[in-house]
Amino acid sequence: MKKRWGILFTVTSLSIIIAGCTPGGPAGGSGDTEGDQTVIRVSWWGSDERHNMTTEAIALFEEKNPDIRVEPEYTGFDSYWERLTTQAAGSNLPEVVQMDTSKLEQYISSDLVLDLNSLIEDGTINLEDVDDVYQEMNIKDGGTFAISSGANAFSTLYNEALFEKYDLKLEPGYTYDDLYEAMDKVSQGEGDGAWGFDFVKAEYEAFTHFARQFDQHFYNEDGTLGFENETLVNFLEMEKNMIDNGVSTPHDVTVEINDSGESMIANREAAMAVGASNGVIGIQPMSEDPIGVNVLPVAEGATSPGDWIRPSMSWSISANSDKQEAAAKFVDFMTNDIEGNEILMAERGVPISSKVREHLLDQVDESVAKTFEFLEVVGERAGESEPLPPPGEAEVRASFNRVLEAVKYGDMTPEEGVETFRSEAEQILG
Amino acid sequence: METVKSTEVTLTPEEKKRVRKKSWKESFTAYLVISPWLLGFFGLVIGPMIYSFYLSFTNYNMLTAPVWTGLSNYVKLFTNDPRFIQALKATFTFVVIAVPLKLAFSLFLALIFNAGKKGSGLFTTIYYIPSIIGGSVAIAVVWRQLFGRNGAVNSMLDSLGLSTISFFGEPNAAMSILVLLVVWQFGAPMIIFLAGLRQIPKDLYEAASVDGAGRIKQFFKITIPMLTPIIFFNLIMEMIGGFMTFTQAFLVTGGGPRDATLFYAVYLYEVAFEFLNMGYASAMAWVLLVIIGFFTLIIFKTSSLWVHYDSDGGK
Repeated sequence: MKKRWGILFTVTSLSIIIAGCTPGGPAGGSGDTEGDQTVIRVSWWGSDERHNMTTEAIALFEEKNPDIRVEPEYTGFDSYWERLTTQAAGSNLPEVVQMDTSKLEQYISSDLVLDLNSLIEDGTINLEDVDDVYQEMNIKDGGTFAISSGANAFSTLYNEALFEKYDLKLEPGYTYDDLYEAMDKVSQGEGDGAWGFDFVKAEYEAFTHFARQFDQHFYNEDGTLGFENETLVNFLEMEKNMIDNGVSTPHDVTVEINDSGESMIANREAAMAVGASNGVIGIQPMSEDPIGVNVLPVAEGATSPGDWIRPSMSWSISANSDKQEAAAKFVDFMTNDIEGNEILMAERGVPISSKVREHLLDQVDESVAKTFEFLEVVGERAGESEPLPPPGEAEVRASFNRVLEAVKYGDMTPEEGVETFRSEAEQILG
Repeated sequence: METVKSTEVTLTPEEKKRVRKKSWKESFTAYLVISPWLLGFFGLVIGPMIYSFYLSFTNYNMLTAPVWTGLSNYVKLFTNDPRFIQALKATFTFVVIAVPLKLAFSLFLALIFNAGKKGSGLFTTIYYIPSIIGGSVAIAVVWRQLFGRNGAVNSMLDSLGLSTISFFGEPNAAMSILVLLVVWQFGAPMIIFLAGLRQIPKDLYEAASVDGAGRIKQFFKITIPMLTPIIFFNLIMEMIGGFMTFTQAFLVTGGGPRDATLFYAVYLYEVAFEFLNMGYASAMAWVLLVIIGFFTLIIFKTSSLWVHYDSDGGK
């Protein structure tokens, strides 16, 4: 009998020990201060390069704020969101969360991220050197729910050597017809295995920009679709025309190249592609030729350039945290601290503080400097920002891409595609 | 099964109680010993299963609390989700093609190894390797390279003067390379077949060859009937595995092109982790359980028609 209780005791104590070791167990909870230090958790996604820079910047932040200790949590992009939603489900969000614009609305409507207005007003987060266009997308119904950690704009990236070879000039204000003509030259001249224009599977963004030129949006403020069918039909017809005539890359080539992480403009398989302006930083190392950044073409009958500045990513602060002050200090440091940003080197996008931008301009790589200059150009052309995508955006995007594929392969006409997409999207958005 | 008739012993109620008490004591100790596993089983398997069953009747995005919606997930699944139908189609097509191919191929190899004398152990090991690494990211990358636009396969087709195939752009081609990848992971059924082949008494073959039966006839009259229990086992396991295929499709084709390889598990993952519809995904998971259960049951029910056990008196 005694023996049996011994076993029972061992088993229970073992299981208690094991339970205690699991992350999220008693030992891993947040909301603790160590001595007189406040501990905040900061999470982000990205590459190894970003992890190294950020941890170095964190060390500097801790040096300047000895009363705060930062626990970093970082992963790649896909697993990041799985992890974050799991943490949200367990009311265990990190104090500071790197946020993507496409997900922000969902986090706002679930009351998970803090409205930062009071922290901005009392100067804990200093936005005095920040132009409004950089922050517009993070504001919803008057509340500020994130601080941009770097900006970009939707743009075209092009291979400067190929442009020189065919003597192409596409100054801002050029039209889609000009684009067609220029790209046709490259496609004809380079022969097999090379095309002119690459849509890079980014039609969703490209169409968003296209619609903006007609004062329409992909989504309205209230989360419904904000464009007319005709606009999307025109866009699809234009793209299909480019593909069918060999001016633009066939769909299967586009998919394959992009899934393998290569870039067609770096390989000289295309002369120009759509992309985020900071894409030039990632593509330049892969290319022997200089890569340039340009605005998108103007559609026929357009009423505005369609450009807007958007956060590459932002910092949000967890609404349920009791250490918002310390978290805000960290966000302020990442936004405004000159030394900190010398470490971060604008890797998350163009810094939103004009002081930081001016300071970094002559320190950064040439390709990074190109994004700084490009955003100056866009800043003058930018219209009002795009409304935040509603929850369900991921599903709508997937539907858009499926319909697009069907249209490209000729399973549907553009008209049928748009009808199908609209009914699917409206069902998703409810 | 026949129970062995023991001589009846009558016990007084007193004795009965003691026996029962004793057996309870013994089983208590047994349960105590396996309690760590039991804790895990109830905490990590049964618990989550019950919870997912509950979630399948709710709308749940992980960020806000689940909202009870009754049967609406199931209704939507069967009446208003063309992609679900497409996922079923893709999965069935895949199972119907890949499972028989895999079984035939693994049996074929097992026969060769069984006939081989020296060094077949080494080869068995080598041939087993794909099954170990087949589900990995590395192999998916290799597959993408092999069947890519400028990959080895297309270079070969090109040098033979044939037209190249866009393996990731053509629905049927994409399905074929996944079938190929899964059939290539024939290790587990092969080993089991090999064990089964070694069980077949040699004297059956000797007797058959004395009677003048040729190789082919021996194979169909002796090997196959004697192997039916093993075939039955492998068929069940591979079918279940086939319905749950995820990694290969997710990594190599991503469900494309145009949902041609959107296997059930791939769609389920998409709904759960990309669209964050955990309720809907839970409903899908339970429907998959029912589907697999149904087919397993059918195979079990028909097994009496074609599976021969030794105890059948050598029918």
